[in-house]
Amino acid sequence: MAEVRYYDIRCVRGEITLVDIDNGVVESAGTSFFDKAVIRVLGSKGWGILTRDHVDIDSKREVERLVEAASRLAAVTEDHLDLADAPRGVLPPLPLKEDPREVDLEEKTRLLAGIEEAARVSGVGNTRARYTEGIDSVRFLDSSENEYSYEAVRSGFSVVAIASKNGVMQMGSERDHIATGFNLRNKQDLGRKAGEVAVSLLDAKIPKGGTKRAVLDPELAGVFTHEAVGHASEGDLVREGASVLGGKIGERIGCEALVIVDDPSLHEFGFIPVDAEGVAVERTEIVRDGILASYLHNRETLAAVGNGIPGHARSEHGAPPIVRMSNTFIENGDAAYDEILEECRDGILLIGSRGGQVDPGRGVFQFNAEYGYLIENGEKAGMVRDVSLSGEILSTLHNIVLVGNDRKMSPGYCGKGGQSVPVSDGAPHLLLADATIGGRGE
Amino acid sequence: MNGEDLIEKILREGERRADEIEVFYARGLSVGTEIKKGILGNAEESEAWNMAVRTVRDGRIGFSATSDPDRWKECLDAALASGRLATPQQWGGFPKPADLAGTPSAADGDLVVAVEDAATMVGDLLAGAAEHPVEVVGGGADLARSYLAVANSSGVFYGMDRTVAAVSLEAIREQSTGYEFDASPFLADIDARSVGERAASLAARSLSGRDIETGRYDIVLSPVAAASLIGQVLLPALSGRNVKAGRSFLADKVGEQIFDERLSVYDDPFAPGLGSTAWDAEGTPTRRLVFVGQGVLQRFAYDLKTGYRYGERSTGSAVRSGGEGPGIGVHNLFIDGPRVKEPGDERAVWIHDVVGAHTANPFSGDFSVEISNPFWMEGGETVEPIRTAMLSGNVFEMLAGIGGLGNDARRVGRLTIPSIRLNNQQIIGK
Repeated sequence: MAEVRYYDIRCVRGEITLVDIDNGVVESAGTSFFDKAVIRVLGSKGWGILTRDHVDIDSKREVERLVEAASRLAAVTEDHLDLADAPRGVLPPLPLKEDPREVDLEEKTRLLAGIEEAARVSGVGNTRARYTEGIDSVRFLDSSENEYSYEAVRSGFSVVAIASKNGVMQMGSERDHIATGFNLRNKQDLGRKAGEVAVSLLDAKIPKGGTKRAVLDPELAGVFTHEAVGHASEGDLVREGASVLGGKIGERIGCEALVIVDDPSLHEFGFIPVDAEGVAVERTEIVRDGILASYLHNRETLAAVGNGIPGHARSEHGAPPIVRMSNTFIENGDAAYDEILEECRDGILLIGSRGGQVDPGRGVFQFNAEYGYLIENGEKAGMVRDVSLSGEILSTLHNIVLVGNDRKMSPGYCGKGGQSVPVSDGAPHLLLADATIGGRGE
Repeated sequence: MNGEDLIEKILREGERRADEIEVFYARGLSVGTEIKKGILGNAEESEAWNMAVRTVRDGRIGFSATSDPDRWKECLDAALASGRLATPQQWGGFPKPADLAGTPSAADGDLVVAVEDAATMVGDLLAGAAEHPVEVVGGGADLARSYLAVANSSGVFYGMDRTVAAVSLEAIREQSTGYEFDASPFLADIDARSVGERAASLAARSLSGRDIETGRYDIVLSPVAAASLIGQVLLPALSGRNVKAGRSFLADKVGEQIFDERLSVYDDPFAPGLGSTAWDAEGTPTRRLVFVGQGVLQRFAYDLKTGYRYGERSTGSAVRSGGEGPGIGVHNLFIDGPRVKEPGDERAVWIHDVVGAHTANPFSGDFSVEISNPFWMEGGETVEPIRTAMLSGNVFEMLAGIGGLGNDARRVGRLTIPSIRLNNQQIIGK
């Protein structure tokens, strides 16, 4: 057999339950099953990685056969990797308030229908709601005799309402996902909110693009944190030379009061009890008092880059672990919301997120708000839509003028390298100076 | 038990318990090599197996899927249970066996799924990138072969092979990045060295761009940038399901001149491509579909379920991704029309790619995105890099009056598209 310095196997067996209701019609409501395994072997240079369905992790012979096959893959690699030692340990699973497996599919469908119906306010022509539930049973073992298993339960929904008038179509959407139990009860308010936002956007204006002061609400400020700082602090991008934050540890990258954290141990939607390499998870302060303090690492990027904390390896089932964020946020400052609006004077308030993207090597990011309001003389004025914000990682954090005191986390899914994992991000309200706002208004 | 025997077994068992049953089956082998630190990093091999079952009983459609052959009974039970909750609808049956008209071009008999071959392609990528003074920060090569089958209780049993060869490379020079990629069913289509060279050239040439003032400019969207924006907005608007549900900007516009008369949009399932196939994901024979002919909207895409519900016929447009049930999509979509020599001789802002296309509003077509690798273009040549800027506009309005189509059509995923010149567009400088 080719050289094997280390191996690990991670199996995820699970169920996904989806309910899809479109304009009152139950399009589908059912459960699917998967059973995926990833076997990694570190050869004399780099990783050989196998993905298989349905592996018997308890069979020594099967494990040996797979390790040998992976070692043959590893033999073609040229990039020499080492693995840093890292603390081990598994946190207890999150307590479930109500186990979704104890709620039958019929009741889930009925509750989702209630949320979808609530979105159908006057003026809304189309509503759609989707329930997603994932039960993952994870088993891990490695050649250093570490072994663990845990179960993760996630439950949540999204609801979209579309309103139209005179050929104009606008959308309102809400979502709520949790890792602490069943999450469909008493949520009609969110359905109603999606409907109301869609209707009010029909009369919203498209803002004029340009440089102005911007207030970000906690959800959008969370996406800002994730896109503008989080990705660029990922150790794999730093190692490859694909991040503008490479070589900047100890340098000031933002205003004095700024603290930015990624914390996989936090009981939010991105919680993991242990990372995908069996490393203990802990709170990691990426930025401390405006200074770049830590990168997010797995064992190989910690060995190669240093200056950071491991325990950030994550993977979608059936995919190899890579460095990822989990729960990413800006800590509270001391500015009250009213103070932030007043200090903004004339600018724009941006609310909710339609997603974002970053080119971490160039240091440029973009994200889109669901809607917003112009701010005139420190007060909320007319509603605006289809507005996005872009900026440069190395300058944008210096433009944070005020940090609010009302941090809130929002759940979502983050894509990287073709893998999607559950995350949350958040922040208090932020005031940004010199924000580049995209909008095609005149 | 091999796939065929298992499918037969599930069909027989399903027929006893439902009016109709359909099994979609996929198995595949793929290898990939990933570039790390400018040399070959990880090597991966993946074997996948997936089976999806749909049952129909009294117009109620049930669905389940599994990646574990031993759990097929549980999967069938779950499909029947899910059918009990689905709202009943008009249903005219799964397709019967038909003479398949076209011949797909989706598999390369010479493609070998071997990690050594993928490693050779990485060598070619890196050799191409070495022609410019850049660092390679990512990319890789993938080779895959899969077998797909759809079978139902009306007697359909179609199977096909699919192959994919794909390469990508990401390069950086200081804070200037460049990314290029290509994918095809045919290994011979892939010029890894050229992909590496083009990515490196973008990174090298985009360095030290000049600022651009906010204002209105003539622009040229490269095929990559055009595919990102059009894919996000136009594809959902052509889905019959979105049309009937009131979610498509194009609903009620059939017969109208919606785009520039030089633009046609059609799906050609028999053209060579990643989506090439003679039957769709539900076993309906595919055919060439013209959605927009010389700017006039002609039709929408339907699958069986939406077709039966609204009295339309399936257009053979069902597609599947992952372990999910079928949805409406395209196989090989072409954006086409008469070409100009280059996309216009006059000075314009050429845009290679955009950041954040997925945030475009699919209902209204409005977007504002960050642009990547923009250059001033003169006489058809990119002459001078631009530092950074945003582009704001509306996809439907843009396509209503274009400045011209370039002579450089390329495949971007399931789209084949040339560069598009657009006059008088809003750019926001910094």
